[in-house]
Amino acid sequence: MFADGLFILFTVIAVTGAAGLVLFKHPMNGAMSFIVTLIAMAGLYALLSAKLIFAIQLIVYAGAIMSLILFIIMFLNIQEEDLPVEEGRFKYLIGGAIIVAPIGLFLTRVIKSFPGAEKTITVEGFGGIKEVGLILFREWLLPFEIVSILLLVSLVGAVVLAGKRRMVK
Amino acid sequence: MEHNVTFLGYIPLLPLIGAAVLGFFHIGTCNRKPLNEKFYGLVACIGPLLAFVLALRVFLTLKGMPEEARYLSQKAFTWFQVGDLDITMGFLADPLSSLMLVFVTLIGSLIHIYSIGYMEGDKNIGKFFAYLNLFLGSMLILVLGDNPVVMFVGWEGVGLCSYLLISYYSEGTDNVLAGNKAFIVNRIGDLGFVLGMAFLFWAIGAGGFDYFSLKANAHSLTPGIALAVCLLLFVGATGKSAQIPLYVWLPDAMAGPTPVSALIHAATMVTAGVYMVARFSFLYAHVPVAGEIVAWVGIITALVAAIFGMFQDDIKKVLAYSTVSQLGYMFAGVGVAAYSAGIFHVFTHAFFKALLFLGAGAVIYAMHHEQNIWKMGGLKNKMPKTYITMVIGALALAGCPPFAGFFSKDEILYSALATGHVGIWAVGVLVAGMTAYYTFRMIFVVFHGEPRDQEAYDHCHEAPAVMTVPLIILAVGALLAGFLNLPAIFGGHQQVTHWLAPSLVEHHPHASLFVEILAIGASVAAFVIGIRIAYKRFAVGAEEPVFSGFSKFAYHKFYVDELYDGIFVQPYKKIGNAIRKTIEPSVTDAPVTLVSKLYMVIGTAFKVFQVGYVRVYAIYMIVGLSLMSLLLSQSLN
Amino acid sequence: MIQSYLTVSILLFCIGIVGVISRRNVFTVFMSIELMLNAANLAFVTFSRLHETMDGHVLALIVMAVAAAEAALALAVVILLHKHKGQLDTNVFSLLKG
Repeated sequence: MFADGLFILFTVIAVTGAAGLVLFKHPMNGAMSFIVTLIAMAGLYALLSAKLIFAIQLIVYAGAIMSLILFIIMFLNIQEEDLPVEEGRFKYLIGGAIIVAPIGLFLTRVIKSFPGAEKTITVEGFGGIKEVGLILFREWLLPFEIVSILLLVSLVGAVVLAGKRRMVK
Repeated sequence: MEHNVTFLGYIPLLPLIGAAVLGFFHIGTCNRKPLNEKFYGLVACIGPLLAFVLALRVFLTLKGMPEEARYLSQKAFTWFQVGDLDITMGFLADPLSSLMLVFVTLIGSLIHIYSIGYMEGDKNIGKFFAYLNLFLGSMLILVLGDNPVVMFVGWEGVGLCSYLLISYYSEGTDNVLAGNKAFIVNRIGDLGFVLGMAFLFWAIGAGGFDYFSLKANAHSLTPGIALAVCLLLFVGATGKSAQIPLYVWLPDAMAGPTPVSALIHAATMVTAGVYMVARFSFLYAHVPVAGEIVAWVGIITALVAAIFGMFQDDIKKVLAYSTVSQLGYMFAGVGVAAYSAGIFHVFTHAFFKALLFLGAGAVIYAMHHEQNIWKMGGLKNKMPKTYITMVIGALALAGCPPFAGFFSKDEILYSALATGHVGIWAVGVLVAGMTAYYTFRMIFVVFHGEPRDQEAYDHCHEAPAVMTVPLIILAVGALLAGFLNLPAIFGGHQQVTHWLAPSLVEHHPHASLFVEILAIGASVAAFVIGIRIAYKRFAVGAEEPVFSGFSKFAYHKFYVDELYDGIFVQPYKKIGNAIRKTIEPSVTDAPVTLVSKLYMVIGTAFKVFQVGYVRVYAIYMIVGLSLMSLLLSQSLN
Repeated sequence: MIQSYLTVSILLFCIGIVGVISRRNVFTVFMSIELMLNAANLAFVTFSRLHETMDGHVLALIVMAVAAAEAALALAVVILLHKHKGQLDTNVFSLLKG
């Protein structure tokens, strides 16, 4: 029961944060609200016994990536008048929600047909660093290496794109 | 004795490789500083010379074989296989093709060497030599092919190369039109060849399509089919070998550079028709009627061309009509079933006609590309080597004993007489006289008398050694080639006739000594009379004549070109124009335009959706997903 | 239980889509995409739990790495765009207009 309570709490926080992300006008507010969502999702991961993912969600996502985004937002020093004029923002949001609704409903119906396994107790060491690491470096070695190359490429790309001092008109 | 060899394929391959290499270098350097001319010349000569060496090897190998089994063959690869039709890229060297090989490669090599001098300073010399090599390679494929299809490859190859080389000086519209004419007229002949081949395959192709199988199965042809095949093949031959009615392209082919004319007339292109008829002698032997037609077409061509030749004032056109005329003799020879005589005339003609053309080229080169004989005169002092060699060539062409042309021409005329074709013989003798007349008319006007254009005369000079040496070699050939087939009456053994015998189906006519002496006497008399009239009229101080009456008619070549233009070309153009104006816009073009317009309308309509905002494209995508979800939700129930 | 986690995932994913298609602020759009990635991650981890294998965890890790790479590049692009036009409105950039 305690776990169910936590689940409901985290869900409410996550969905509220996500709603805040799309509703706030200023991206800084949106980013803050998104961090709340990310932390709540880390809680959901913990409820699913994904210890490693829980830690990484907090450290890498909520920590590193989001601080990068916040840093850039602050770096660009965005004022209220710099923001795009989005007068019909709520109209658009409602319209978008109407368009997206069938997708959500369809997916919900799909997952209804899954076997509703009620598992609360997992095997010893499920989702730990050692176990995930063993699978990662044995069966997923090639994707892992490819991701490392991807990171290198994006590093170089970011330097090339943003590092130019003189812009060519 | 081993008949299968592997070096036959190299004979056509070597010039073809040369063509590829030269073309590669030419294209590679056409936007930059061109390579040294000498480089092109040397590369171009390697292929033909090596081919000549291989041709000699083939000849000597064949000579070492027993007479009844003299052949070498090579099956390079299977080209294609459709039903009964199984075509191998095969090469066959028998006595007939080996003889052709030797002189084609020899004369081709000499013309290549000569071209180094003649084409000096031309900016597209790489292209020229590439085409020249390609030309020779195609001719060697034609000669060596062991079935009609491979022969046709070479046949089309020489047609293409003649087009490329005749319109080589592509700055002038006339030259390009001459090239077009050669190509189109040849196509008409080629159609005959293709149809003939198709008939032949339909009738007896199931038993194999190489010459041996065809020869073995030829007896099962019905006379009608055999006649049709023979005549269709002869249509092909008239196109390639410039016989009535398709001879009109050859005089116009003079638009090309002179070495090309020499190559076309002597070694490669025009001899193909005679070779082909001789190659199919096993068919023509079946249907004497076809032979009669071939002989008469040939001899009439000889007569008409000789009449034209008597009135030309362009040195190369005189020679061109003499070639048409001599080709007429050759067809008369093969027509009366004297195939070896016809081929022997091809052989000797190659020497003296190459010699005359290259000599004429030397004259034109010296006169700074002046071709009108009435602007020349007295050149014998300035160009002694060219003069002497050209006189030898002219004597050979006119049939003066003991030069090469005498023996071969006499052989043909004798065969005509001996087989009872008195009419052909009589016309042939007349043409022999006319040949002597127009040949020496040209020699006298160009080399004797007083200079008609003093300025050009003062500037002219003897050609360089690279041009005169081939002339001398060819002059020796023109002098001596005739002795190879010395008839028995002069104490010879007719070696060429015996050499060719295994390849041909012919019956040697036996006539009395009187007939033989009559034939020789008539030829010699015709020669003497012809040369005497020419001497009287042109030896000293002849001026450019004004033509009237029949001579004007002949000067304008009986208006045959105009006739063809009126009957075929103009109506064809009119039909084409009518179709272009009526049917094309409404019937063929309309649907295409409609389709394009439809696409434009649809494109304009869809352009509305291309707003340019990535967000909107995302919306399109999501809308699509959404609709799919709705649809799939229905099926989930 | 599994269904409820997946429902949360779907809900977050749909909110992400709505953010992408209805907002014009570059940062909000970008973070909405991140939100969609996170929703997918949640689904991975949930399925991993359902099947009691850890491949879903590995995939989630990889998705995070890709998200990091994407963040680096996307932010560089945003800086570049801001330098060019001085604005953060996605409607300013309409080079694809036909």
